[in-house]
Amino acid sequence: MVTTLLSHSWKKLSRSVSFSKELTTTIFLSLFGLMVLGYALALGFGLNKIITDGLKQTDSFQFLNGLMLYYFVFEFMMRYFLQNLPVLDVQPYLHLPLKRSRIVHYLLIKSLSHGANLLVFVLFAPFAFTAIANRFGIASSISWLLSLGLISFCLHYLVLLFKKGLDDTIWGLLTLVSIFSLLGASDYYGWFKLSDLSSSLFALTVQGYVLVALIAILFLGIYFFSFRFFLKGMYPEEVSFGKSSAGKNHDLSFLQNLGSLGDWINLEIKLIIRNKRPRTILFLSAFFLLYGLIFYRNDTYSEKMPGLFLFVGVFITGIFMINYGQFLFSWQSGHFDFTLTRPISLRQFIESKYWLLTTVTVICFLLSVPYAYFGWKILLIHAAMTLFNLGINIFVVMNFAMWEPKKIDLKKGATFNYEGVGAAQWLMAIPLILGPYLFYLPFSLMGYPIAGILAVGVVGLMAILFRAYLIDFTVRRLEKRRYTIAAGFRKD
Amino acid sequence: MITIQSLKKNYKETSVVDVSELFIGQNESFGLVGNNGAGKTTLFRLILDLIRCTEGQVLINGKNVQGNDEWKGYVGSYLDENFLIPYLTPEEYFKFVGKLHNYSDEDLKNFYQKFEELFHDEILGKNKYIGDLSKGNLKKVGIAAAFIGNPQVVILDEPFENLDPTSQIRLKQLLKRERKARSITYLISSHDLNHVTEICERIVILEKGKVIKDLKGDNLLAELEDYFKA
Repeated sequence: MVTTLLSHSWKKLSRSVSFSKELTTTIFLSLFGLMVLGYALALGFGLNKIITDGLKQTDSFQFLNGLMLYYFVFEFMMRYFLQNLPVLDVQPYLHLPLKRSRIVHYLLIKSLSHGANLLVFVLFAPFAFTAIANRFGIASSISWLLSLGLISFCLHYLVLLFKKGLDDTIWGLLTLVSIFSLLGASDYYGWFKLSDLSSSLFALTVQGYVLVALIAILFLGIYFFSFRFFLKGMYPEEVSFGKSSAGKNHDLSFLQNLGSLGDWINLEIKLIIRNKRPRTILFLSAFFLLYGLIFYRNDTYSEKMPGLFLFVGVFITGIFMINYGQFLFSWQSGHFDFTLTRPISLRQFIESKYWLLTTVTVICFLLSVPYAYFGWKILLIHAAMTLFNLGINIFVVMNFAMWEPKKIDLKKGATFNYEGVGAAQWLMAIPLILGPYLFYLPFSLMGYPIAGILAVGVVGLMAILFRAYLIDFTVRRLEKRRYTIAAGFRKD
Repeated sequence: MITIQSLKKNYKETSVVDVSELFIGQNESFGLVGNNGAGKTTLFRLILDLIRCTEGQVLINGKNVQGNDEWKGYVGSYLDENFLIPYLTPEEYFKFVGKLHNYSDEDLKNFYQKFEELFHDEILGKNKYIGDLSKGNLKKVGIAAAFIGNPQVVILDEPFENLDPTSQIRLKQLLKRERKARSITYLISSHDLNHVTEICERIVILEKGKVIKDLKGDNLLAELEDYFKA
């Protein structure tokens, strides 16, 4: 039975449209995963040396144990973003004569086959079998590693419970962030030292198997709690998300005065606010406004590489435009036929999108004005980049988004969701990022960086003035591609 | 009203639609029947310019539907769920479509009144998004929206599918009533011979994309049953 189920899930993966279609994405992601594990392994082998030589700690065992609870907090965060609930794909089995409990066991155990579960072993096994084995013997090193592994598995199920209970509520993320900052603050201000607790706790693991046994019991407890929890929640209607009742009216009344253009913008605003994935993009954009703090606080960047700020500027003012715009047509893939049969011209359709993206970009610029605190130059860069984004990058995004857009299921969440990603979404980044440098570098190489920034702004401004032509061009392309796009959206 | 001239749609080598000549007049109620894969939906999509034809053309009121938005103002249609916007409530959706047709609040109220019976208190004021409605209710929303703007032409693909018996009867009454009140052209496809013969005065049988029979008269149902028995 288990093998049948396993073969089904393999077929599901290998026969899915996205597997063959988005092969590049899949390969890229797996390479990325391998790379991360490779780095972790390298770090694991170097761990002892880094702690004793690099950080000048005499007792690497005690030091590492002190960090261990922090590591697990980090791992929890990481798992929160990496792990998905396993329950969604059991619907076709529920009505068959299979025991529900077996299905749940199968799901829970299968969910363990996740890359995140390797991390703890990859990171700490080398340390266990060298530093600890040398000092306390091989039995102790196994006991230590086993404790870490079991705790990691506990986290695995805790994250699933957490996600099922609190996911997609703002409380979920807030709880995480507040736990994290509380721990950091308590250590910093010395209310209680988590590192001391951690250090003495894990020191116990090498002194016998009692603690390991306790952790194992804890693990079994969590496993059976999850088991009961998921067994009760096996009803499809409870599993599928998004059966939300409609609430507020999200219309912006001033837009209604703009005629059908305003109506379409209003529609798109509802799309963004009422669906998880675009909503997350909106939140992320707000978050990205803080991106500048990483770069602008550091004087070395601003003195030696002012050109780097162009790059930062593209993203601070344009993050929503880029992130949302890359799927500009895919968002409405579910009702593209509607758009084509209703009395609206493709020109109005493109214009509504143009104005939506423009408005949000201007808002991002206005919100980024406080960065003037780090110098007027930054304000200048942001202004120039806003003009460039509005004049040129907006059309780059819209036209690349037309390149074989794929269907997006709006009901799915955003984290690690690669639906809709194709070659266009990767290639788009190149002109977006390099574009401004095309105009900046000639001036900066001659020794006039400010003139370079102004040049970028002027080019953007020119493009804005000639936007009628650029919109024309975009509409004509959509006119040509509409059948292909519509056919692609009708496929599953 | 609608003229189809040597219309062809091929996917690679296979021909999906191949209609040499078809004219659907004003105020005609035109039914399209055929087994699965006969090309009914494809033909409707071609008429609505949702797919590019390989050859030929479709004219509505003498104008090619391709590269022209004018017909959208007086052709209402509902083929499938791609015509609905799942993250809107039905009210918001009707209001949105109404605005595209310059509906006033008064017009919208009249519209609701017309469909009150069909909606059967399950559509309006339920605080539910369209995406969360059942299949039958989705269909009701789509069909109703196709009538917004008092279109001269209404195109419906399998309107009776997924509807409960009461709703089927009410929908038939509504379709008839509407045609009594004003001049309106229907293009309706269906697998249900009883329903489609009750609504339509002219029925075309499609097979492998070709018009096999073009029937009119009083004996429609018997002729159709005869044909499909074979």
